Amino acid sequence: MEKIRLDNVSFAYSQQKSMIPVISGVDLSVAAGEFVTIIGPSGCGKSTILSLLSGLNSPSEGDILIDGEAIRGTGTERGVVFQHYSLFPWMSARKNIIFGLRQLKPRRSHKELAEITDRYLSLVGLDDVGDKYPNQLSGGMQQRVAIARAFAMDSDILLMDEPFSAVDAKNKMGLQGLLLDLWNSGPRKKTVVFITHDVDEAILLSDRIVVMSACTKGIKEIIRVNFNRPRNRSALIKTPEYAAMRHMLINLLFDDLIEEVAV
Amino acid sequence: MNTLCRAEKATDTPQKGFHTIALRLPLRLADILFISAMVLAALPGKRTMAFEYRGYLMGLLGLIELLYWLHQTMHKEPVRKKSSGDIAAVMFTGIIVWELMTSHLDLLQHLLFPVPGKVVAVFISELPVFARCLVSSLGLLGAGYLLALITAIPLALIIGWRKRLFAAVNPLTKVLGPIPPIVYIPYAIVILPTFKCASIFIIFIGAFWPIFIGTLNATFNVDRHLIDSARVLNVSEKTMLFEIILPGIMPAIISGATLGLVFSFILLTAAEMIGASSGLGWYVKYFSDFADYPRVVAGILFIGCVVTAITGCFERVERRLLSWKN
Ligand SMILES: Nc1ncnc2c1ncn2[C@@H]1O[C@H](COP(=O)(O)OP(=O)(O)OP(=O)(O)O)[C@@H](O)[C@H]1O
Ligand SMILES: [Mg+2]
Repeated sequence: MEKIRLDNVSFAYSQQKSMIPVISGVDLSVAAGEFVTIIGPSGCGKSTILSLLSGLNSPSEGDILIDGEAIRGTGTERGVVFQHYSLFPWMSARKNIIFGLRQLKPRRSHKELAEITDRYLSLVGLDDVGDKYPNQLSGGMQQRVAIARAFAMDSDILLMDEPFSAVDAKNKMGLQGLLLDLWNSGPRKKTVVFITHDVDEAILLSDRIVVMSACTKGIKEIIRVNFNRPRNRSALIKTPEYAAMRHMLINLLFDDLIEEVAV
Repeated sequence: MNTLCRAEKATDTPQKGFHTIALRLPLRLADILFISAMVLAALPGKRTMAFEYRGYLMGLLGLIELLYWLHQTMHKEPVRKKSSGDIAAVMFTGIIVWELMTSHLDLLQHLLFPVPGKVVAVFISELPVFARCLVSSLGLLGAGYLLALITAIPLALIIGWRKRLFAAVNPLTKVLGPIPPIVYIPYAIVILPTFKCASIFIIFIGAFWPIFIGTLNATFNVDRHLIDSARVLNVSEKTMLFEIILPGIMPAIISGATLGLVFSFILLTAAEMIGASSGLGWYVKYFSDFADYPRVVAGILFIGCVVTAITGCFERVERRLLSWKN
């Protein structure tokens, strides 16, 4: 069943008097419960697509449909983790998460929300920093609080923009596992759109990988990743199939770079 | 002598030597100045009056020294200790210069420049009057300033948030904002029924514009990332304004409010000098009309104390509100 559909979507940022086109004519369909990753060169419009999916911007042309209906603005059925840590600096880590939950469940008691909050903080490995303010936390810790907030909201769709980029390798593996657990758990699978620069991360996590071309050229290729789940990282990376897929992805990404250099 | 000094520099670092001496000696610069000021106060000067009031002056010097010592023993951080010592030293120096210029060298006009001891004596005897003036002044100040806070902040938030309203209102603030509020005083006194209304209105105007303009611009330019993270949580407009933007721009609001407080204090005293029959500004003006300069100087010093106390409270509130920033 189709969950998200981008139908010939174009978008341009308006700046002073001119319009800066960023993406044009993008078509993409994401099935319910699917894990889709977008990779592509920096500045190709990945974050822009995410802002359209989250409803922060509206396409200048085309439609974005969720469950067959065109979206209007933001909605709590879509949880978002931004590329820039987006915590509120005047709230402690715990309050940041409670604030998010409060918007979703205004009637729940504070105690209930605090319990959910502590559970998710502990899941991302931050049991004892709940009372710290964001600027007392490292970049990676802030990112994990933002992830905990999105996870705690338990929304149907998760939109994540390079969520693990500032996290160290060990915590990154833990968080990748956690993300897959959350994706799988619950009465039905969540639908995830995930942006990354990390090819290995993309292969490990995704059902499909969308490779974007440089600015305004849109989607270059969509690759299906058919490795069985649950995927064992260390076993998987030794297989020739993995190496082949990795090689193909890197070639796809590098093509653009080579073209750019040649120009 | 010169060679000796140079030899010492070569062998031992003089910096270090000086420090160990300063540490071993319990006396610091402020203490030395305190003792000199006490000696000066005890010695008879050219003006006989100074001698009569020497007890008051010594009392003041003693009080400053006591506060300084208390501060030294209560605080551990060397930075704060040093700065309190510097402040005490500056105060003692000021008093010594004043005492020298008036009672000892008698360089200044008797009538216009009272001796410090006399001012201290007047200050103490006038405290009940000061208290009454303070109540009356704070009433006006509080009313005008609070009115400015509770109108300027919500109004600026709402206008700054709606782009169209902002575009409509911003040119108006550019015209009205920079008008010096003092020019409203005579007009306000005429058009408003009582002097009290007029001064509250003027204080309000003085505080309103800095708070309003500061909040308005900060709201308009608020960090887009903050707004986006709130929007994806689907917050209501009320939550957006008062739970996201308001705390998000708190630093700008506080600097506007500090400026507003300074303005309102200036306008308060200005208004009182023009038309009041009580209050701190009135006190200074009234007694300078009678050429009673000891009272004038005491009044000015009292106003200084009041302003210091108010800004001190304000800084505490500020630290509370911005504890997340440090
Ligand atoms: N608010 C904005 N106003 C104008 N132009 C913008 C704005 N945000 C992004 N752009 C432009 O749009 C293009 C795509 O930006 P986007 O942030 O979507 O890239 P990205 O693929 O997410 O890159 P990265 O991998 O570095 O995060 C860039 O060329 C950028 O300069
Ligand atoms: Mg991006």
